[in-house]
Amino acid sequence: MIAPLAEALDRMTRVGGVWGALLVAADDGLVIAEAVMEGIKPAAIAALAASLARQSGIASEAAGAGTPRFLHLQGAAGTLAVMSAGDGLLLVAVGSDEMNVGLARLEMLRAIEAAE
Amino acid sequence: MMIDELTSLVDEYLRSPRSLAFVDLAERLRTEGRLEAAVRVALTGLEHYPTLSAAYDVYARILLDIGDLDRAETIWRELLERDRRHVGALTGLGGLYARKGDYDSALDHLERALSVDPADPAVVQALMRVRRAAEDAEGDATSAQASEQTLFRGLDGAGRGMLLADRHGQMLGGRLETPAGDEVSEPAAAHVASVAREATRTADMLGLGPWLWLTIEAAAANLHLSAPDDQSLLLVVRDRSMPAGRLARLAERAAETARGWLGEQIL
Amino acid sequence: MRRSRVIEAWTYEPLERFVRESGARLTLVMTPAGQVLAQFGFARAVDVMAAAALGAAVFASSSEIARLLGNLEFSTLHHRGHRFGIFLGGCAVPRGRLLALVIYGEDSSVGLVQLFFDELVRGLQEAAPEQERSRPVLAADFERELNDSLASLFGR
Repeated sequence: MIAPLAEALDRMTRVGGVWGALLVAADDGLVIAEAVMEGIKPAAIAALAASLARQSGIASEAAGAGTPRFLHLQGAAGTLAVMSAGDGLLLVAVGSDEMNVGLARLEMLRAIEAAE
Repeated sequence: MMIDELTSLVDEYLRSPRSLAFVDLAERLRTEGRLEAAVRVALTGLEHYPTLSAAYDVYARILLDIGDLDRAETIWRELLERDRRHVGALTGLGGLYARKGDYDSALDHLERALSVDPADPAVVQALMRVRRAAEDAEGDATSAQASEQTLFRGLDGAGRGMLLADRHGQMLGGRLETPAGDEVSEPAAAHVASVAREATRTADMLGLGPWLWLTIEAAAANLHLSAPDDQSLLLVVRDRSMPAGRLARLAERAAETARGWLGEQIL
Repeated sequence: MRRSRVIEAWTYEPLERFVRESGARLTLVMTPAGQVLAQFGFARAVDVMAAAALGAAVFASSSEIARLLGNLEFSTLHHRGHRFGIFLGGCAVPRGRLLALVIYGEDSSVGLVQLFFDELVRGLQEAAPEQERSRPVLAADFERELNDSLASLFGR
């Protein structure tokens, strides 16, 4: 499961605007694999993305929407995309405010399908 | 004139302390606001006339004025058990329930009092007062509810899929229901405040700038969280058939609406 | 309202920020000998003493293993349990080495704790006073200092 997902990180980094792509352990917020540009801090991304995913999951359940599959946090100067990859894993992409979230999302879905 | 009347009652009472003059005197002292004296006169009289309904009625009114609603209610209830058509007790309980804000019970008792004695001006006046108060109270509640209901009027999903909360997780307006129709506005408001704090921290620490919105694609629905202003949070939830881009547009319109509504609220 | 109890005032701000951001339930900052400089979340005195002693012992043991393996040091340790996790981290400040024992629950993660521990270390390093001129440590001095610190810790 992990190897195909880790291999997908490289493809994710080719999406326009992506600064880095990671495979993260959701419960621990730790990096399992990463492909990031110089200056990007994978440990911080992993910890914060996992925490955001956890909080979002609680809110989503409370709203009756069920378990989250994909998050997109849009900032004025950057973007974070997080997809649940199953088995307690998250695929994370971080990039500029113009990151192509749609393509990043497609690459994440392809990676998950390939890993199953 | 009034002082003469009181003086006259006092003189009568002093002439015959064990007479029934104490009832009128106690009532007069109550209406004058001299509640301590009214209590003494009423209790002294009740020692001599322990079964006199009129005395208990006056005593209950004095207790109501003092603020001892429970004891007043007990006395009037006991009077009604003895006499279901006791106008004093019915009127007294009408006033008591109105004070508690239970206008339905108040009107019920006053209307019963009126049916017993249609000509009693005190009952008529009390009924009119309570009806006016009940209408005012209903108007306040209706206008608050109407204001919340107009918050997202005209927008797709307004009555069940849009929620406005403050940053402390408390509801401001709107309504959120699950696909099964259960209202989940309050818990959702509470949790989105936590999500917003997490989003703020994440965006800040990862250098993403101020966060603008967060979309969550979940198993049963899609959610869009944004901040119409720096004090509020807007959550829009739609079923998964609505694409993310369209959800974002809907949320933008809802945010505009929310900003206008927030600006109109009297704080 | 202060939720931390600190003996050394300079530890307060870095510790408060760490606890707030990491979501840690229980945190001790101590010397490698187990002398507590700051705490957050312990309700009973015996928990502080036991946790400090055990944390220092665990870290000392792992340091010895690192030495045997030829590593200079292990900087952090982590044990993950079903409901709680334990994190032990060491750092150097001008006054010497410090240890942090952190216990966190399901609303945090080792990733978050590690992330903000790095900030805690930077904060302690910046806030720590310069090392005092070293003087011979007498056994009586050490015991008195330890008793003073415990008395201060428990508000006596």
